[in-house]
Amino acid sequence: MKLTRRTPNPQSETIIALIDVVFFLLVFFMLIGRMDATAPFDVTPPQAETGADMPAGGATLSVSEAGDLALDGREVIGADLESAFAALLADDPDLTLRINAHRDAELRHVLPLVGRAEAIGFRDVVLVVTPGASP
Amino acid sequence: MASPVTLKRPSRSGPLISLVPMIDVMMILLVFFMVTSTYLDLDMIPAARTADGSTGEGSGPAPTVMLRIGAEGTPVLRGQALSSQELERFLEQQLRREPLTRLLILPSGGATTQALISVMDQATRAGATRLRVVRLEARP
Repeated sequence: MKLTRRTPNPQSETIIALIDVVFFLLVFFMLIGRMDATAPFDVTPPQAETGADMPAGGATLSVSEAGDLALDGREVIGADLESAFAALLADDPDLTLRINAHRDAELRHVLPLVGRAEAIGFRDVVLVVTPGASP
Repeated sequence: MASPVTLKRPSRSGPLISLVPMIDVMMILLVFFMVTSTYLDLDMIPAARTADGSTGEGSGPAPTVMLRIGAEGTPVLRGQALSSQELERFLEQQLRREPLTRLLILPSGGATTQALISVMDQATRAGATRLRVVRLEARP
């Protein structure tokens, strides 16, 4: 009587390799992804060569080209900004405020925001830029 | 007469935990992160920093240079509009002579954010460490 050993099913090995690859991709995207709420309007930050690395965390105040505001992805009107800031600071008094203004937004819409944020108690206010030679 | 021997094949033990649902979950997570990730390379320029007291002020007398930015984005020094190259040359000369020069930037409200950032960028590249942006406010 001749006994033949059954060849192992090659399918299991293929699945293990697939799991590995998928797992590495998953970790990669989890690490590089940034869970920021995007503004409901288009914002292209100004370019600067001397910008520093963006600190993690914080609230993002977006300013559109026309001067519309959005705080952490939700549109706000200028009059409600103080109360929205106060609510954020009540949760975290050391919160950093990132002002992400469109590069063509006029400064009369942008600069007063820094003063208002400082007046309400933000200690760190930063302007968001993208690396690159400024035009 | 001897009784017949019956051979039993041992039942194959399957995996304790099935991998298929885990693969499904991982694939869904992978697709989620691939779709929601945005690849923006963002930097920042401090606009107000009072936590560590580094507000660009220093001790000792130092000259102050006031630089205006017109509504069209042109830097104006002592009433004279400067090109980008002229501003860079002036800042380099000034900061070489007086490294502690205080630079005040007074932008017009009609200038764009990029115009202000460009001037701040040039000043920082030239070596300015005491930089302030000032603005005019209407008296209430």
